[in-house]
Amino acid sequence: MSTREHEAKWAPALSRRTFLGGLAAGSFVLVSEANGAVRHLLSPSAETFAPNLFLAIDPTGQVSILAHRSEMGTGIRTALPMVVADELGADWERVTIRQAIGDERLGSQNTDGSRSIRRFFEPMRVAGASARWMLERAAAQSWGVDPSECRAQDHGVEHAPSGRRLDFADLVEAAQGIEVPSPEELSYRAPEERRYVGRNHPIADLDAIVTGKAVFGIDARREGQLFAVVERSPVLGGRVASFDDTATRKVPGVVDVLEIPAFEAPHGFQALGGVAVLANSTWAALSGRRALEVQWTPSDHGSYDSREFGHALAAETHREGKLWREVGDARAQLRNAPADSVVSADYSLPHLAHASMEPPCALAIVHKDESGKPTAIEAWAPTQNPQAAQDQLAATFELPKESITVHVTLLGGGFGRKSKPDFIVEAALLAKEADRPVHVTWTREDDIRHDYYHTVAAVHMRAVVDDDGMPQAWLQRSAFPPIFSTFVPGSRNASPLEMGLGFTDLPYDVPHLRVESGQADAHVRIGWLRSVAHVYHAFAVCSFPDELAHRAGRDPYEYLMDLLGAPRLLDLEGVEYPNHDEPLERYPFDVGRLRNVTERVARMADWARKPPRGRGLGIACHRSFLSYCANVVEVEVSADGTLSIPNVWVVLDAGSIVSPDRVLAQMEGAAVFGASLALYGEITARNGAIEQSNFHDYPMTRIYDAPRNIHVEIVESEELPAGVGEVGVPPFAPALANAIFAATGRRIRKLPLAGQDLSWA
Amino acid sequence: MSANKITLNVNGTRHELEDADPQMPLLWALRDALGMTGTKFGCGIAQCGACTVHVDGRATRSCVTPIGTLADRSITTIEGLSSDGSHPLQKAWAQHGVPQCGYCQAGQIMSAAALLAKTPKPTDEDIDRGMGGNICRCGTYTRIRAAIHTAAKGGRQ
Amino acid sequence: MSKTILTGTTLALGSLLLFACAQGSKERRSPATASLLASELVEAQAAFELVYDVLQHPRCLNCHPAGDRPLQYDAGRAHSMNVVRGPDDRGVPGMRCDGCHGTSNAPLPHMPPGVSSGWRLAPREMVFEGRSRAELALQLMDPKLSHMDGEQLLEHVAHDPLVQWGWNPGPGRDPVPVPHEDFVDAFRTWLDAGAPTPTEEARR
Repeated sequence: MSTREHEAKWAPALSRRTFLGGLAAGSFVLVSEANGAVRHLLSPSAETFAPNLFLAIDPTGQVSILAHRSEMGTGIRTALPMVVADELGADWERVTIRQAIGDERLGSQNTDGSRSIRRFFEPMRVAGASARWMLERAAAQSWGVDPSECRAQDHGVEHAPSGRRLDFADLVEAAQGIEVPSPEELSYRAPEERRYVGRNHPIADLDAIVTGKAVFGIDARREGQLFAVVERSPVLGGRVASFDDTATRKVPGVVDVLEIPAFEAPHGFQALGGVAVLANSTWAALSGRRALEVQWTPSDHGSYDSREFGHALAAETHREGKLWREVGDARAQLRNAPADSVVSADYSLPHLAHASMEPPCALAIVHKDESGKPTAIEAWAPTQNPQAAQDQLAATFELPKESITVHVTLLGGGFGRKSKPDFIVEAALLAKEADRPVHVTWTREDDIRHDYYHTVAAVHMRAVVDDDGMPQAWLQRSAFPPIFSTFVPGSRNASPLEMGLGFTDLPYDVPHLRVESGQADAHVRIGWLRSVAHVYHAFAVCSFPDELAHRAGRDPYEYLMDLLGAPRLLDLEGVEYPNHDEPLERYPFDVGRLRNVTERVARMADWARKPPRGRGLGIACHRSFLSYCANVVEVEVSADGTLSIPNVWVVLDAGSIVSPDRVLAQMEGAAVFGASLALYGEITARNGAIEQSNFHDYPMTRIYDAPRNIHVEIVESEELPAGVGEVGVPPFAPALANAIFAATGRRIRKLPLAGQDLSWA
Repeated sequence: MSANKITLNVNGTRHELEDADPQMPLLWALRDALGMTGTKFGCGIAQCGACTVHVDGRATRSCVTPIGTLADRSITTIEGLSSDGSHPLQKAWAQHGVPQCGYCQAGQIMSAAALLAKTPKPTDEDIDRGMGGNICRCGTYTRIRAAIHTAAKGGRQ
Repeated sequence: MSKTILTGTTLALGSLLLFACAQGSKERRSPATASLLASELVEAQAAFELVYDVLQHPRCLNCHPAGDRPLQYDAGRAHSMNVVRGPDDRGVPGMRCDGCHGTSNAPLPHMPPGVSSGWRLAPREMVFEGRSRAELALQLMDPKLSHMDGEQLLEHVAHDPLVQWGWNPGPGRDPVPVPHEDFVDAFRTWLDAGAPTPTEEARR
């Protein structure tokens, strides 16, 4: 598909085709279904105009819009309702945003994979435009004019020829008598007509946040609730052998001590199990837990040593593995190449913990029938995925999903951790036993020691270079305990999903290419963390060209552009490549767009300048979540090896943008997130137990050591919207490592930097 | 562990806690006993600053401050920084769109308020030092810095 | 680090001369009248050896850093969070020592320790970090650097809650291994002998 065709596909005039052909098709069901007597999540009264699940207008004209994705800092709780409000022609001052409970009728609520805008921009347009269509017809009927002469804007419908106007409030009753239109009948506002989309608008929760009134999961309160903390096995798979709660029960405020049964493999999203202390305050629960003595059964994972494991993982990448993509015959090329033309490098990255500022926490109530059997569950939690919480609670309690209500609070950060509802299950299991609402809080130690960890990884890169230093053959092999180990016991193979995150889609123009994976067993719960496998894949894929460039005596940026090759759509024919769950026809891998962000970021950073020794620029570009992002990082390294990051330049092409300022904020935050993982991020295990516990030994960048200035440009585009939240993370660490090489001559192949000597003389 | 009555003066209001453990950190007294949840738990060991309040005007980590030490002390939380969100820092935070998830921001604002109270025109270095105890995992540091400078200039960017 | 102490008369004389401005005690010998027996000198120098070991222990040294950043942990790395001394040795606005360090030790490892008198750094001049025996001895007896005379020093090491904290540092921290009483006795012995200064060679 050419760029021109691509633009056409997205153009408003042709949006109907897009709508029908795209993923938005499901929204039609929503629109129709809502017209019937189904439970409406905005709980409208009989007098309310509620044409679909996402929207209701009461007789005063107040518009309620349902936010069905979880707010963890991206601004999505504001952005998607803005799309509805824009299409409707609503005045934002008369809009109330309501957070949806988990409900499968809304489509996926799994706020993950940087997909909220790309998946729901169109359904939200449909939701707003169909309501507008009905309001315009209601007005036309009351005036006896042609609906095509009526236009909804500024929270009312206007009839331009006569200058008449009716407020939405005046149309609520009449609109209820109008048939819900089919999507074919709808038209959408042109970008220049929009008042909210594409402009900067404060997030809905801004005032509540700065005044301390915002309600996060940890703030959920219900009358009579108990506060609980749980002691869990230090080693995955350990079960409670015995425990002594004598001292615990003597702690004032402690109400009960309850055992949570251990999970049955695979752990999935089940509660880990352990011993819970329930009390009338978090402090009493914590004090009680300190007095608790628990003996754990041994576990198969009790010998896990992450240092040894790292060596084994590196060795695995030196053996032939599973083939994922092949161009030409890289093996033959490597076999026949003279030794001095072969370049290789091994990269390694450790486990990471998510460490969202708000740890996992949840409040639950279990309703029971007269016999004491649970009949319904209600939970309040900072979850990225209320539907997964419903599913897991339904499975654990053997209840129908419909009897489980999951309220989504604000999330104090998520980063993938809060997609997993294990902590909500804990709260519900305790609430059932305690016969009262129970709020479970994970301490930071619980969070760091019992996470679903970002996986440890090793990546081997090898190339045969020609006389100009350009690679003629390229082999890359990645090994890591896979995410699927969380769901399928014994999983040790990389999945298409993980390999597709920045590895099988290597964008470089090399005549012979081979992409492989190794195998690895998991000994901790493996999860996904902001940008997932892109973290380790991009680190290798964006560092190796820098190594090759320096070996060839060439400028790394110019070399990278040559390596990217001509603007083209990457040929992934025959490759098992999920493309972030989007068809390649709709979202091709456009090397031209990757080149563009790379060129722009080099210009922005004034790449050609030659910084003095101890200062250096590094560049990296990467496509992830269907977006294209390039970074230049500037480092300053003192002779004794003290590192600072004065500047980061970021160019992002994420297609069409809804909230420009929030996109900037995500890029700024991604650089800081990337800096934390590159500088400090390391989770280690010994005897199966995690060695870190809190921010003193699992540090984060702070205001004084984070990148000082982060300059971001967003490519203006009318392409289909693509991911934002995770996209800024992958290129940061390799750009940083490349900058360190430029500044010091020290090549970084292992993260984190903490403990590595960066000194130079 | 002795049970007794402890009086806390929070945002100008006296609260009496019956049978309170004097070792209970102020954080949990605020959140669990007094229902003031604006002050956040982040680490419990004074590493992250999410729980920052003012005690007699000074930025204090409430997660490690036993309530038994707070008699006759004046405590200010984010809920009491201003009655209506009109503190110059709150306005600057909004102006710069600082918050992402927002969880750490009460602590950030309270630290910044203590900084500005004694250093009305802070340099970048003053900010690096005065705000070094607060972690933001979303990475809003550049905007926090800009917002503090704006507040120091009376709202002008 | 060598434990050698030079016991030559020349050394003793030199150190006693340097001791001239550090007198506050009537009982102690004044430099003008000083005449130490060799055995007393050996005893005093041995006593200072113990004192020096205590002062170089992380529990003491970490708050007597060279420069404006307190140190942390047994490794004596710079205090995280960009903590600095500030104008009154108690931090800067927004990050005062007492914002985290309360009036008693917190109950768990990795939580901030505290003392009843309030947490603070030693005066900027009173550096232990990187100081040799001789340098530290001279520095202790120079009121411009120590801000104390002999009596006050003795009072400080014997009764200052911040010093006593070194023997009660809270969970997760090793206390100073020498009994506090022995430390105070040794300090007194050394002072009473006129605070003789070890030689520079003793540094290594």
